[in-house]
Amino acid sequence: MRAWDFVFLTYGIVWSAILVYVLRLWRKYRRIKTELALYQSGAQRDSSEERI
Amino acid sequence: MAKTGVQRRGILGGLVLLSIASGLYLGLVQAPPDAYQGELQRIMYLHVPSILTAYLSFLIVFVASCLFLWKRERRDDILAHSAAEIGVLFTGLTIIEGSIWGKSAWGVWWTWDARLTLTAMLFLIFIGYLMLRALIEDKMRAGICGAVLGILGFLDIPLIHLSVYWWRTLHQPPSVLRPDKAPWENVHPSMLLALSANLIAFLLLYFYLLSRRVRIAEMEDELEKAKLYGAT
Repeated sequence: MRAWDFVFLTYGIVWSAILVYVLRLWRKYRRIKTELALYQSGAQRDSSEERI
Repeated sequence: MAKTGVQRRGILGGLVLLSIASGLYLGLVQAPPDAYQGELQRIMYLHVPSILTAYLSFLIVFVASCLFLWKRERRDDILAHSAAEIGVLFTGLTIIEGSIWGKSAWGVWWTWDARLTLTAMLFLIFIGYLMLRALIEDKMRAGICGAVLGILGFLDIPLIHLSVYWWRTLHQPPSVLRPDKAPWENVHPSMLLALSANLIAFLLLYFYLLSRRVRIAEMEDELEKAKLYGAT
């Protein structure tokens, strides 16, 4: 392998790993946000039913 | 209030992308090849910022863990846990970068050099930290055990930094953070510029990731409370 191959291999691994981590965080954030919204809307519905 | 947080994260995200692009340009195009290492030197524009970011991350773990043991506030524990996770990512990347550089410069992927071994130990300590936290269900207990391990793990960092002075190591002494010379006396300005740009990019990226990770942990707590409230 030439020097540039080592350089590109390193840059490729580093930025791919960071991208994978960012995407993992993003997916987790979306999932929890959806689940939280679901529970909050359920709680709101329950309290309005109680009032009726 | 929430919108301000989203906007702040959006601005930080934009700055991160801009700084990464400038770091890549300066590191891969603008900086000249090193007189001895040639193009291989460009790996250092990632290697040095990665380990400095990891050090900062574990410093945050240390401070937040001390605060958690003192005040027992959940937000300190969330900060320590989040910082440890990102610190592990940057330490792992540092080891990979160093290994690739070592293969080309020294002819081996790995050697049991003092600095390399202590860095691998740091990585394993914080992998253990994350595993320990995942194994203990009670959050307060997980926080206390994690805080103790986080504080002990941080003590490895001064050893890593000083290992090149204390032992005869294959790893070269620092070029930037050295007590006897200013960075610009030791490193060519164009190389120092590329290194600084990449360091800024990594630090901005780090704070962006940390803010997202902390927010996710806070939302997980909210979700847990909502589930509990829904069940009762």
